Amino acid sequence: MSDKHKPQPMVDEISDFEVLETAVRELAIEKGLFSAEDHRRWTEYVHTLGPVPAARLVAKAWLDPEYKKLAVKDGVKASLAVGVDWINSPPTGFGTPSDYCNLRVLEDTPKLKHVVVCTLCSCYPRPILGQSPEWYRTPNYRRRLVRWPRQVLAEFGLQLPPDVEIRVADSNQKTRYIVLPVRPAGTEGWTEDQLAEIVTRDCLIGVAVPKPGVTTNEKRPVRPAVHPVHHDH
Amino acid sequence: MSKSQHDRTHHAKKATGIGDPQCFKGEAGSAKFKVGDKVRIRDLPDLFYTRCQVYTRGAVGTVVALVYESPAAEDEAWDNTDKPEWFYSVKFRQKDLWPEYHDVYANDTLETEFSERWLEKA
Repeated sequence: MSDKHKPQPMVDEISDFEVLETAVRELAIEKGLFSAEDHRRWTEYVHTLGPVPAARLVAKAWLDPEYKKLAVKDGVKASLAVGVDWINSPPTGFGTPSDYCNLRVLEDTPKLKHVVVCTLCSCYPRPILGQSPEWYRTPNYRRRLVRWPRQVLAEFGLQLPPDVEIRVADSNQKTRYIVLPVRPAGTEGWTEDQLAEIVTRDCLIGVAVPKPGVTTNEKRPVRPAVHPVHHDH
Repeated sequence: MSKSQHDRTHHAKKATGIGDPQCFKGEAGSAKFKVGDKVRIRDLPDLFYTRCQVYTRGAVGTVVALVYESPAAEDEAWDNTDKPEWFYSVKFRQKDLWPEYHDVYANDTLETEFSERWLEKA
């Protein structure tokens, strides 16, 4: 019998994970560890996040050599210019508990290309870049990138000449990184908006480089969630 | 060291308006290493927890930045935050980490961070 002919379930199935999520959340609120208001505020904060501020930081740095110097020297201060205060933007007032307050901006040059991973888990510069991709959290990416960066990057469609230094940054402590790629040819005279549009999330991780005309991450299979989050705000 | 109850206000009191690891600034004393120093990663015991990757143990790299002061993760993960130390960003040649790394890509490197306890002069 094919899947098509199976009867539809009468009710939405609730997974063990969802049962436990409700149990933990209700217990924490009942015991006063955090409030329902805290939970809502955090979710709303997360909904404000995405890769746009980091892309804008890169575009600004391409257009302003002084700002680029600041970005490379003090990523936390440079983030303020794109509306991201690593300390005060999160609801805590002391940075997010898991992303900390030490952004570093890794500047690529024609002879140096950075790519970022967290081999120990999935550390990622969420306040300025949003949620990490699923593949970034996989044991596969975490195991392989540090040792075979050229092979992994080639799978992403990115190849660089042998004399270009590929530098892998492993985010293992309190620093989080974004990559400041080289401004591509064919973008002469472009505005900040135009430049920011080609700096995708993948460029900011380092698995892609910006290209005129390419304004989205490369298409890859998307595994659907059973009960997906709806961003209908 | 043992605390009968976790103080749930301590971190917020220390870090609000300041940030983490900014709130530990000045608490680690003088740094043992400086930018440009060659350092070897010590193979300290890692029973229960570490954030010093096994792949770096025994390897020699170069200090490229003193990034901040903070309690080591090996302490902070067990709620011991009273002994901050310096953290260093260290760059390795890939050839020095992976025996099979090809000479064609001799320029390739890897950068990651260590608290001071993990480093010795190379």
